[in-house]
Amino acid sequence: MKNLLEAQNLKAYYRLVDGIQIRAVDGVTLELRPNEVLGIAGESGCGKSTLAAVISLTHNPPLHVIDGEVTANGFDLLRLPKEQARREIKGKYISVVPQGAMNALNPTQRVRNFAIDMLQEHQPDMTKQDAVDLARARLQELSLPERVLTSYPHELSGGMKQRTVIVLSTLLNPKVLIADEPTSALDVSSQRAVIRLLMTLLDEQIITSIAFITHELPLLRQVADRIAVMYAGKLVEVGTMEEIIFQPQHPYTKALMGSMLVPERHVREQRIEGIPGVPPDLKNPPAGCRFHPRCTQRIEWCTQEEPPPKTVGDRTTWCWLMH
Amino acid sequence: MAFFLAVSLNFFLPRLIPGNPVKVLVSQMATGGVQSDALARIYDNYMREFGLDQPLHIQFLRYFANLFRGDLGTSFMLYPGKVSNLIREALPWTVALQVPTILVGWIIGNVLGAACAYKGGKFDAIAFTSALAVSNIPYYCLAIILLYALAVSNPIFPVGGGYSFGSYPELSLSFLLDALHHYTLPFLSLTVVAIGGQAIGMREMALYELTTDYVHYSKALGLSDKKVIRYVFRNAMLPQITGLAISFGTMMGGALVTETVFSYPGIGSLLFTAIRQTDYPLIQGCTLIITVAVLLANFLVDIAYGFIDPRIRAAQLGER
Repeated sequence: MKNLLEAQNLKAYYRLVDGIQIRAVDGVTLELRPNEVLGIAGESGCGKSTLAAVISLTHNPPLHVIDGEVTANGFDLLRLPKEQARREIKGKYISVVPQGAMNALNPTQRVRNFAIDMLQEHQPDMTKQDAVDLARARLQELSLPERVLTSYPHELSGGMKQRTVIVLSTLLNPKVLIADEPTSALDVSSQRAVIRLLMTLLDEQIITSIAFITHELPLLRQVADRIAVMYAGKLVEVGTMEEIIFQPQHPYTKALMGSMLVPERHVREQRIEGIPGVPPDLKNPPAGCRFHPRCTQRIEWCTQEEPPPKTVGDRTTWCWLMH
Repeated sequence: MAFFLAVSLNFFLPRLIPGNPVKVLVSQMATGGVQSDALARIYDNYMREFGLDQPLHIQFLRYFANLFRGDLGTSFMLYPGKVSNLIREALPWTVALQVPTILVGWIIGNVLGAACAYKGGKFDAIAFTSALAVSNIPYYCLAIILLYALAVSNPIFPVGGGYSFGSYPELSLSFLLDALHHYTLPFLSLTVVAIGGQAIGMREMALYELTTDYVHYSKALGLSDKKVIRYVFRNAMLPQITGLAISFGTMMGGALVTETVFSYPGIGSLLFTAIRQTDYPLIQGCTLIITVAVLLANFLVDIAYGFIDPRIRAAQLGER
């Protein structure tokens, strides 16, 4: 089966006044395969949410795509007319669970009415009753209470609101779900409920794959099949969950794993290290490998030239040490 | 509670105006060559008639008692004209001037403001700047400018009044056309300012709503612009409804200057002359109408909000 979504050498910059550009995504090549959860991880400001916005076609000025392409379902998404993308892709093939999904629902509208609007938008001949029935059936299937349909958003708890958003996003059985920090504003038990819901959607074949954007690596350990680690607008390492979590190769991935709390025996006595230094300013990123100013294993090459990708099996690493 | 406080203020404030209204009234008669002891008797008579010979607190209690019987008293300057009759004559003019003004200004202003916020670019730049300019002209200035431009130097419309001199209010086509002719300028001067103010408010609200998460989310799921605009317009409208109610509440007194500039026979003009003549009962009558209108408007808004905004309904029912 073909990849569901592919980004080729994608560059997306924020253009500020005075011609300053923030290179939030700077040459990312990544694919989302069928039947997988792809984790996209990295520190705050590494460009992971920007990447999510571009591949879900929800980017707005001042964010501009400078170069590269995104292909899905045989379409060149970035060159697709806006109206066609809206009709054929958004919500139907690619759907989103937004960052800050707490306020994602219109506060003066019942959930039911949004479901109707959304379904009728894509299937104009569907009656209101059919739309409500479909939404109700889906809620039952996912063992969520039916009452959310007649509720206003403020009548739902935070976790329930988030799960409602996920159900609404997947009403049309989209192939791809792009979830940007879907659990970051929730307490631990609501987080679990959200994760369980996402897994059920995959198991029931309602959606095919998830791109899961988060800074919480422990979460990815539970859900991801593959993980892509981003640093300063670029990918540093992509591989299977086991490879990235247990045998990281790139110094940044190693440092990231070293700063993570895992409730496991060997970690318990270990001291948790932060990564020294701060991420670079993306207005003017460092030459060569972008991680070199903070890297403990840097060699001369790192400051001069960007490391090319090195692929072994499922893993690709962008580091001079691998060459 | 607010009502009693306002009514008391209505009573005391006019009495703080220096000057004895009855003396003025009597001295106007003196020009007719009446004997001075006769004038003194007339003065005493008037003082008794209007109850002004009593101490202030007795006057106040009497005023209150009469108010509950629906008696607003007798005007000093138009003696023996009843205040309630005078107000009844003036009220339709003010309502007929203000209600369409407010509604038209509100509707056009809101649509314009939402269009500015949504379209942006040149359209926004031009429309928003004009709205700012227009709404910042004091409305009486605009009234005077219009009066000069369209009535004095180019006499297209009459200079003032609600109808032509010599005609009498009646339900005939010629009278209605005549009244409409007199209506145009005051209507224009108030509406233009109202459109500007409403458009600015609506634009701000809609701009804010356009950046909210639910707008982004709806678009990400492929909802059409038409539907998203509907959400935004509705939510941005909510605070505007308060504005509408306040306009309705203050409409009685709000047109004071406009009515005066155009000598329009409404409550504003009536109040203006009453103040100039220190006509206590008439001032009280006019301010009472204004008080009632403001309170009523606020009350209706509170009720309307419950129907329109589910968040407020929940708060009112104590669900939150």
